[in-house]
Amino acid sequence: MIERSMTSLPGATLRIAVNRRFTNFTHIYFSRALSTFALAIFFLLSCTVISAQSAHIPHGTLELVSDHAAIAPGLQFTVGLQFKMQHGWHIYWENPGDSGEPPRVTWQLPKGLTAGELIWAAPQRMGASTIVNYVYDGDVLLMAPVRAGADYSASPADKLEAGVKFLICSEQMCMPGKAQLSLAIPVKGQLTSDAATAATFAAARARLPKPLPGGWKISGHAEKDSFVIESQAGRTLTQATFFPVHESQIENSTPQVAVSRPTGMRLTLRKSGELTKLLANLKGVLELPGGETYLVDVPIAPAAR
Amino acid sequence: MKRSAIFSVGVFISAALLFAVAPLLSAPKVGEPAPDFSATASNGKTYRLADFRGKFVVLEWHNNGCPYTRKHYESGNMQRLQKEWTAKGVLWFTVISSAPGTQGFMTADAENAYMGKMSAAPTAALLDTSGDLGHLYDAKTTPQIVIINPQGVMIYDGAIDDHPTPDASDIPNSKNYVQESLISAMAGKPLSMGATRPYGCSVKYAGASH
Repeated sequence: MIERSMTSLPGATLRIAVNRRFTNFTHIYFSRALSTFALAIFFLLSCTVISAQSAHIPHGTLELVSDHAAIAPGLQFTVGLQFKMQHGWHIYWENPGDSGEPPRVTWQLPKGLTAGELIWAAPQRMGASTIVNYVYDGDVLLMAPVRAGADYSASPADKLEAGVKFLICSEQMCMPGKAQLSLAIPVKGQLTSDAATAATFAAARARLPKPLPGGWKISGHAEKDSFVIESQAGRTLTQATFFPVHESQIENSTPQVAVSRPTGMRLTLRKSGELTKLLANLKGVLELPGGETYLVDVPIAPAAR
Repeated sequence: MKRSAIFSVGVFISAALLFAVAPLLSAPKVGEPAPDFSATASNGKTYRLADFRGKFVVLEWHNNGCPYTRKHYESGNMQRLQKEWTAKGVLWFTVISSAPGTQGFMTADAENAYMGKMSAAPTAALLDTSGDLGHLYDAKTTPQIVIINPQGVMIYDGAIDDHPTPDASDIPNSKNYVQESLISAMAGKPLSMGATRPYGCSVKYAGASH
């Protein structure tokens, strides 16, 4: 990682320098200096397998990274938005909870590359008695799959670009964040893993909610003011937190009530006052003590009359 | 040392009591009477909700540093709404529940200067430094909007519009819930939306953890 940031930093510095030159039209040596800079950039790019830049954002940095140092036509790889936030600052999950907004990305990709939706790591519940949010603090990598078409042939100038907008907050304040990120990945005959980012991606994959283990059964029903989720796990479960993927389905700040069963548990969630229609299912992340997280989609039987 | 220990225990007990009581206080609901309050504004006057029976009242939670609040003030959208509806007899209260030291906290003088600079035109800006009014209405975000009808019933609670972003360029394409609710309610029609998800920054209450 240290080596990566060292190779990427000079590129970032030079880019800024070039932009400044553009504004300084009166400089006599403009074009000569510019070509020197261009040469220097070309040299740096050719030395660096991947050229990435870490952008400064309010109270942190944001970088576009790839799990592969070289890509190949017809194959899929994964890129990630790597947020590193100062202590005390957070960004928001897919469903931000009672306030906030999730990061949004607009991809600008070379012809032949297509990006999929962001893959959300399991969030944390944060909040006091009346306002509860689903957030990430510290470091988080939000991944997205990218597929290279069979006929994709990169030109040396090809870059993956990502325009990212997000809200970053502390206990005391919120700030808007915005960054334009880029990453160049050479095309080779085969996918080549990037040793420098391997640990980052492995850690991020470990934070993704997993499919429910085989043998588990999960069902749900509605009551007048609540939703009840029954989990049959073949063992007793003592506690759980449910994170709804969609807004306005449950009251985020109402404590979730878990009742242990010999073979699982029953979790009661309060219906949101903003709920306007019957829910057929509750999709979300179920977190068990110890940090295990599962992606669940629970069919909800309507309330008995 | 001893005194501070006793103080700490006292704080702990009060905090424990507060948490024990908090879940019992249920938030006011759309369709039910709006809880009465009395609050001091930046203009030095005290306003009491019960005095405004017979009029529509709008409460607008506000934090002038919050990107979502800035969207509606820097574009002039909020001021337009304030001017239009106060001219039609609505009482419009901007409510600032930010605790001292948090984003959006305002002294009376600073708020008066801000309103002058922004040409804001609410009936008054209520300085809810303790957060009591915010908690009474369970206000979660800035900007969150509450509308109370002339009978004192809460008829709307939620977002200002249907575009939960900090981008002012979204405003022309947004359905404004304040506008829509007040037009319908004044015409005696039922509201299409009573409660929506308020969007924005969390209200910066004292001791909050976001």
